Amino acid sequence: MKIGLFIPCYVNTVYPEVAIASYKLLTHFGLDVDYPVDQTCCGQPMANAGFENKALPLANRFNSMFETFDYVVAPSGSCVGFVKDSYPKILEKEGCLSEVSSKVYDICEFLHDILKINKLPGRFQHKVSLHNSCHGLRELKLGSASELNIPSFSKVKDLLGLIEGVEVVEPAKIDECCGFGGMFSIEEPAVSICMGQDKIKNHINTGAEFITGPDSSCLMHMGGIIEKQNLPIKTIHVVQILSAGL
Amino acid sequence: MSSKEYILQNIKRNIKTRLDKPKMDVLGIQFDHLLSQFVDICKAVGGDARILEKQEDVNILIKELYSQAQSIGSNLPEITISTFNPDDLDDPHLLNGTDLAIIKGEVGVAENGCIWIPQNVVHKALYFISEYLVIILDRTKLVNNMHEAYRTIESNDSGFGIFISGPSKTADIEQALVVGAHGPKGLTVILT
Amino acid sequence: MMSTQHSIAAEKFQEDKKQASWHNETLWFVREKRDRMSKSLPEWEELRTIAEKIKLHSVSNLDIYLEEFSKNAEANGVIVHWAKDAKEHNDIVYDILSKHKVKKLVKSKSMLTEECHLNPYLIDKGIDVIESDLGERILQLNHTAPSHIVMPAIHMTRQEVGELFEEKLHTEKGNSDPTYLTRAARASLRNDFLTADAGMTGVNFAVASTGEIVVCTNEGNADMGTSLPDLHIAVMGMEKVIPDHEALSVYTRLLARSATGQPVTTYTSHFKKPKKGGEMHVIIVDNGRSEILTNNEHIKSLNCIRCGACMNTCPVYRRSGGYSYTYFIPGPIGINLGMLKDPHKYTDNVSACSLCYSCNNVCPVKIDLADQIYEWRQNLDSLGAASSSKKMISLGMQFLFTHPTLFNTSLKFTSLINWVPRSMAFGLKEWEEGRSLPKFAKESFTSMWKKGKIKTIKKDEQ
Repeated sequence: MKIGLFIPCYVNTVYPEVAIASYKLLTHFGLDVDYPVDQTCCGQPMANAGFENKALPLANRFNSMFETFDYVVAPSGSCVGFVKDSYPKILEKEGCLSEVSSKVYDICEFLHDILKINKLPGRFQHKVSLHNSCHGLRELKLGSASELNIPSFSKVKDLLGLIEGVEVVEPAKIDECCGFGGMFSIEEPAVSICMGQDKIKNHINTGAEFITGPDSSCLMHMGGIIEKQNLPIKTIHVVQILSAGL
Repeated sequence: MSSKEYILQNIKRNIKTRLDKPKMDVLGIQFDHLLSQFVDICKAVGGDARILEKQEDVNILIKELYSQAQSIGSNLPEITISTFNPDDLDDPHLLNGTDLAIIKGEVGVAENGCIWIPQNVVHKALYFISEYLVIILDRTKLVNNMHEAYRTIESNDSGFGIFISGPSKTADIEQALVVGAHGPKGLTVILT
Repeated sequence: MMSTQHSIAAEKFQEDKKQASWHNETLWFVREKRDRMSKSLPEWEELRTIAEKIKLHSVSNLDIYLEEFSKNAEANGVIVHWAKDAKEHNDIVYDILSKHKVKKLVKSKSMLTEECHLNPYLIDKGIDVIESDLGERILQLNHTAPSHIVMPAIHMTRQEVGELFEEKLHTEKGNSDPTYLTRAARASLRNDFLTADAGMTGVNFAVASTGEIVVCTNEGNADMGTSLPDLHIAVMGMEKVIPDHEALSVYTRLLARSATGQPVTTYTSHFKKPKKGGEMHVIIVDNGRSEILTNNEHIKSLNCIRCGACMNTCPVYRRSGGYSYTYFIPGPIGINLGMLKDPHKYTDNVSACSLCYSCNNVCPVKIDLADQIYEWRQNLDSLGAASSSKKMISLGMQFLFTHPTLFNTSLKFTSLINWVPRSMAFGLKEWEEGRSLPKFAKESFTSMWKKGKIKTIKKDEQ
């Protein structure tokens, strides 16, 4: 099984340790993982700001770069959601198909649904508060969104359950947005920052040492507020916990 | 061209695809104990419900519940404690000052406490203008949900009909619930 | 530099931290009540799916249902009018009122009359117009507009209402108890109900098969207003028509549960025929709605049953208040309806969304609200309404990201960003208002990969 590792641009530059953890996890399960080095950005920041057409060349590049893989896997639900849901629409305008859209996976989704892993080595002796990111939850359906009357589930929680020692809790307003939203965070700074502060407060109130989630962009936003205001909690990507013993 | 023609023509021109009518045959929530569910929900929506026991007299019960009521309006023959028949009045404005109205409901809905009242008085203002309201309902006329309720009342042909669930209420000031906005400040359903 | 009117107003709203936080929490509480209600029905998601389909079906056969409705209503003795736009609507209302020599009109809640600016029009012509929904009445006395479509005065504190009533209704000084104030309004409005010459209501649902209109309230004001005077005027946006009682049963189960977390509104009134000896008029209003039918991306906005659930769940609405939006309907649905009304005039609301998609999930008729906002953003550039700095950022990103060599080279110098004066870099200033900038790693993943550090990572550690 050939896996193309898709590392979103800001993970590449800001959180390479998340990329490394992803690589470790995938190779731990004996997969053939490659990383196309010319990858840059999926184009979501431009599209969410209202410039989807600017994402078109990126969607084309992305498709040709990843077309030979069986699966494309990334540690960021938001970027995966964009490739999965928006690429087909963007490329359709050019009369093209987006081949990769049907084989792109968030890494948690991939481990849970495709590999169906049931064992992971390692310990993580900490209390963590799960950040249910909007796109992971409401686009990729990594868990049941609180608004819906459907059976409750969480793929991320299932995976964390494989690690010894970790105690997983969830904040009040369990899946309210943290206020990142890409361009939203700089176009609406007052509301964005307030949303972030409120979210972090809810995470802190669980008594957890870490906020963890499957989306680095939410963690980056909250991490920025935590640092600026010197708040008593840290952020960590789910894959860093899952790869603790690798 | 009249505005009606103009609007309809515009609509016809602008509709791109016509979609079929979906199946709407929802069963809806079912309750094991309709009566107790109905009593509970009447209380939950800010009202009250009493089951009239076989030996009990409805007039005595109402008198007990609303001992302060001076002006009591009802056109129901079985209600002997009424002080006037509202149907005798020429003008609904004269109903202002009614302490208690006693009326009859036709169907009760267990999911939400709604009671269907097709206009069965001359002046429908009675339902809203009185300070308190008693609705008498046959306990065999309970249904589970609104789907069943609308199927039951389908043949109704009154000019006005209403589902009432609980007393009038508002939360428009700081979301603080206040019972008795414009209509009755209290509502008791008596299940016979 | 990138500020929209919404973001400026939102910042202002945030200045009063205590009130902003109260607003946020209070509306969230309503959202939670809605959640409990929706979860008490096993068939909730089925209901939403059917409700969506009924609306799509009704809207796509709007001409047929409107004709059926008007034919049946007329057979019931109702006088049906058709208005192309707001002006015609207002003229029809005034015409009816003047024919009946109406001096005082009591109204129950109607967003359509807000849309048509009916009140100032009638007041100008000397009619005494009284809003009878408590929230609307508070706002009318205060000369301000609703900030929420279901809880119109949610932005006001009890103290503010108390002071207003002290001045207008002569209530006790300093008494801001909600029960006391509600009772005062009740007494004052009771007098208005008794002296009104006509009653006006909106329409929640118009039932084609019976010609009835259905109005839902908790206060009973629509009923008080229409059961005393002989004249009833009901006004409806034309998308309010639904096929029959079977459809109505679906919506009466969804509306209040979604809106306020109640199992149903206190009153669900079915007006079919005029009062004995009276007149009942229904005015069917287009005012731009028929144009939306051609718009595939936004046609679903006509599904809206005005429950306001999207506002209560919206993290942006809760933290910025209804007045931060430039259209009279705020929140996710308001952003979309405003753009449909006039995309040049109401673009400033499009920024008020973090694309969290919660609104899509609470909507009882499954309007794809967030997707539609996303689509509007794509149109801003062609409307000439896109922010120039956002465009420059996006262009810059495109250039950088389509040139991998450049991208990877620039990555080597990413630490440089720490040397750039903050104000020179677009967006950095806004980011840094409350957040530290993310620090770039010493070495990017790409660089490590190229050097072969990743593939040997395990060996290194062993």
